[in-house]
Parts: sequence; structure tokens; C-alpha cells
Amino acid sequence: MESDTGDRRHVDRDRERGLGLARGEEAAFTALYHEYRTRLHQYALSLVRNRESAEDAVQDAFLGWVRQLAAGKAPRQAAPYLYASVRNRCLDRLRRRPEVALEDAQVELLVAPAGDEERIGLRHGLNRLLLALPEEQREVVVLRTWHDLEFAAIAELQGTPLNTAIARYHYALAKLRKELEAHE
Amino acid sequence: MNDDRLERLLRGYGLPEPPPALDQRVLVQAERILARARARAAIAGVAREFANAFGFGYVNYLIDLVTSTDAEYRVDLI
Repeated sequence: MESDTGDRRHVDRDRERGLGLARGEEAAFTALYHEYRTRLHQYALSLVRNRESAEDAVQDAFLGWVRQLAAGKAPRQAAPYLYASVRNRCLDRLRRRPEVALEDAQVELLVAPAGDEERIGLRHGLNRLLLALPEEQREVVVLRTWHDLEFAAIAELQGTPLNTAIARYHYALAKLRKELEAHE
Repeated sequence: MNDDRLERLLRGYGLPEPPPALDQRVLVQAERILARARARAAIAGVAREFANAFGFGYVNYLIDLVTSTDAEYRVDLI
């Protein structure tokens, strides 16, 4: 009897998984994709400074997620999985191919709001300054400023102590400030 | 310029939109992966029903015993 009950439970679970895939997960995945696509794309661009590699990293991260979803093993929280996955894939690409030289980096990390003359005027220079920051500082600035990640989450992602993440952020801001003031 | 002003300045910028071709690639491939998973689940369900109906429920039990694992919540490190 015990095995029969257990077997029935598995049948029910499989049926539910099948029905779930049929009715909901594609829409759920599309919603998830639209929620994170812009942020993860910018994050990847900031790490690899190359459009093609960034797009590949984002694509691989999302498809990795959907494969786990299809196998019934989707991680409980999407954001930590997706950020870690994009980061790992970008670092893997950087290990195989060196980072694009700053002068060859043709990526835009910022978009100035229409009509905002100050930001429009500073956008190009700020973009170059951000791209010129050391990779680990650039990462903290991007995640903290545009992704609203807490320093604790950033430190966990980078595998560093909390104070290191905070220090990297402040070093980066100091550099940006100094360069901006020098250009004024 | 102090840190607060610089932070406000930076936060006022938006993020670039990913290219539509990326959206297309990801969504089409995701749909394929989910469709395959759906087909596999349907076939497995039918096979199970047959096995149960013909008195081979213990085979299902043994397969589950060997293949099922606890739920995994992990990040794939590559």
C-alpha cells in the first residue's frame, strides 16, 4: 500500500508539472525575461565591454534558467540565480578572451533622459569614465546605482567581504568625481 | 561635486535597451525548451498510466526511487 501511495503521489506531481508547463510557465518566463532583460544586459555590457559577448551571456543565463524550470528544478529566487549566472558567463568569456581595450569598447552603459541637457552633455564622458574603471569597481557602481542591489548582495556576488564592496564603490565614486571636476 | 550629487546624477540616467534580436532569440528558444519538456511530461504520464493499468505500478515506483532527487536550488557555476 505504501508504494502505491508513493507512486500515486509521483503521478500527481508529474501530471501537475506537465499541466503547469502547459498553462503557465511560458507566460511566467516571458514576464521574468521582460523584468530582468534590460538590467542584465547592461550588467553584462559593463563586465565584458563587448556587445556580442554580453548578449551571449544574457541569452545563456536565461536559457539556463528555463532548462532548470523545464526540469522542475527552478531555483526559488530568480534574481540571485540570473545575476550569478550572467556574471559567471561573462567572467568565463573574459578568461577565454581578454577584455576589450577601452579605446575599442563601443558600448553604451547609460541613456540620458530626453530634454535633460546636463545629463545629455555629460553622458559620453561619464560612459567612458565608467568603462575605464577597474572591472570590480565598475561592477559595484553599476549594481549599486542602477540595479539597487544592497552592498551585502554585491559582496556575495563578488565573493568579497562587505567592506571591500563598500570601499570599491567609494574609490570608484572618488575617481569619477575627480575626473568630472577635471573636465569642468 | 560631492558623492550625493554624483550619485543623484548617475541615478538619473536610464539603461540601454537590449536589441530586439536578443529578445527574439531567447523567447523562441525558451518556448522550444518548454515545448519539449511538455511533450516529455505528457509521454511519461501516458506510460505511467499504462504501467499502472496493466499491473506494473512497481516499475514506476522503482524508476522514481532511482531517478527522483530532492529539490535542488542551486546556481550553476561554470
